[in-house]
Amino acid sequence: MTAAPATVPGSGSGSGPRIEGRAGFGNVISSEWMKIRTVRSTFWTLVTLFAGSALITLLICLAAANSYAKDLAAGKPDSADIVLVGLAFVGQIAAYVLGVMAISAEYSTGGIRTTLTAMPRRTEILVAKAILLAVMVFVVGLATAFLCFYLGNIPLRAKDVGVDLSYPGATRGIFGSALYLSGLAVFGLAMGFLLRHTAGAITIGLALIFIIGNLVQLIPGSVGRWLYKVMPGNAGSQVTSFGESNRHPDKAFAPWTGFTVFAIEVVVLLIVGALLFEKRDA
Amino acid sequence: MIRAVGLTKRYGDKLAVDHADFAVEAGTVTGFLGPNGAGKSTTMRMILGLDRPTGGGVTVDGKPYRNLPVPLREVGALLDAKAVHGGRTAYNHLACLAKSNGIPLRRVDEVIGLVGLEQVAKKRSQGFSLGMGQRLGIAAALLGDPGTLLFDEPVNGLDPEGILWVRNLMKSLAAQGRTVFVSSHLMSEMALTADRVIVIGRGRIKADTTMREFIAQNATTHVRVRSPHIGKLRELMVAQGWRTEAAPDDEGAVEVFEVSSEAVGDLAGEHGLWLHELAVVQPSLEEAFMSMTADSVEYHAGALEGSAVGGGEAQR
Repeated sequence: MTAAPATVPGSGSGSGPRIEGRAGFGNVISSEWMKIRTVRSTFWTLVTLFAGSALITLLICLAAANSYAKDLAAGKPDSADIVLVGLAFVGQIAAYVLGVMAISAEYSTGGIRTTLTAMPRRTEILVAKAILLAVMVFVVGLATAFLCFYLGNIPLRAKDVGVDLSYPGATRGIFGSALYLSGLAVFGLAMGFLLRHTAGAITIGLALIFIIGNLVQLIPGSVGRWLYKVMPGNAGSQVTSFGESNRHPDKAFAPWTGFTVFAIEVVVLLIVGALLFEKRDA
Repeated sequence: MIRAVGLTKRYGDKLAVDHADFAVEAGTVTGFLGPNGAGKSTTMRMILGLDRPTGGGVTVDGKPYRNLPVPLREVGALLDAKAVHGGRTAYNHLACLAKSNGIPLRRVDEVIGLVGLEQVAKKRSQGFSLGMGQRLGIAAALLGDPGTLLFDEPVNGLDPEGILWVRNLMKSLAAQGRTVFVSSHLMSEMALTADRVIVIGRGRIKADTTMREFIAQNATTHVRVRSPHIGKLRELMVAQGWRTEAAPDDEGAVEVFEVSSEAVGDLAGEHGLWLHELAVVQPSLEEAFMSMTADSVEYHAGALEGSAVGGGEAQR
């Protein structure tokens, strides 16, 4: 490595730099898009979301095809959305982790200070990250949902109990899964902005979705039932389930009502995150 | 031009920066000196809008940092060379920054060439040495060709060639009429680089002046004299009422204060004493700095007393 001559090409006139316009939201979007694309963790998280969800779906459907066919023959309420089952495990976790990492990695490396020196209008950074994550995870989530639907159907078709896209709520469930994962990524982003710590944000968020979301059922009476319905994972995932009629209104929201509740929760969390982001020292 | 007025930052009940007023002028390299914990980094973070002042304010070319329309075109900063995502290549790191301010990507190649990182531009920065990281940070600071530059400890981890390069770079940036504000704890380096000094101690601005004046006001010149008859000569000097001190590095030499070298030489000559050395010693920035901040060092290093070691021994 050799030292270059100590001269600075550019304006160098001594009259200071030329200023052209104002760095706007478009610049922030293109910068944040490049930031998301140029770290390996993004790629591997999305690969995990896609391939992991597909693989788990295939394995569970293979294992469950027999009993699924028997239940159907016995006239029990069916659970056709088993063809998306992988998304509910690997997909949710990957989408949430991706959202957390989009900001917590900047805090853990200290890169946030470089980011904010280049662009001190902080809310624009937060909004740009949220939009990019939402779109990216929706696209990958939709592709994954279709792949799961196809793969999960292979063992079911072998038993003559395949699920068609014409099945009630199937199309809604597929697009809803992509939307739900997209919302989870933004939920993760908001938690990352609030906690500024990768492990903390991942632990609390996943506990909220997978553990606390179920534990609140133990609270007796209508309070417990209400809490169970509004917990983000429970409310948001209603839009991913097939079937329109066999839903118990005490236990779950209708699909789009649930997703709306979830979306409001995510937006509120994001607004709190933005307020703290503006106020806190970096 | 950076101007701070009543700039204050409080963490809990500790005042990190206490009503600081100073101005960093264009066309000069201004050194920012202070002991560890004096408030240098906090001040720099407030200039860059990273930390919010508790009171007062600071502007760059008349505007608070957060209101700069295209920040990188006006201010370039090297705060912490390790504050980058190590998984990104050097080129991509700079390109992300360039895009956020609408700077054309050919400028990324320019600054990479300027700091001499061409060979590792496509490598991920987590494998970089401290010196390479420092060069990457300097490249980022130069990206927008800004009129104001802030460097926090820029020569950390650089080899002698790199240190010389940074020194010349800062001087040439200032010579082009830019504002250059550099913090460092390396006094010898600052003495060679900076034209002006701002000294901070315990959050307060202790001095804001030229390097020459600062040294003149805070340290004294002395005369160093070495002689084979040093004992006799010292007695004579003390008899004259001069203040003398044994030279720390040489038993045959003495330092004499507030006297001219002529007076010392004449005194020796009158008594027929040989001199092997007679020199006027200019004080260093380091001496001036130490005498000024002696009372405002936040973390004093205790002398390593024998008793502390002895205490450990006694417990066995």
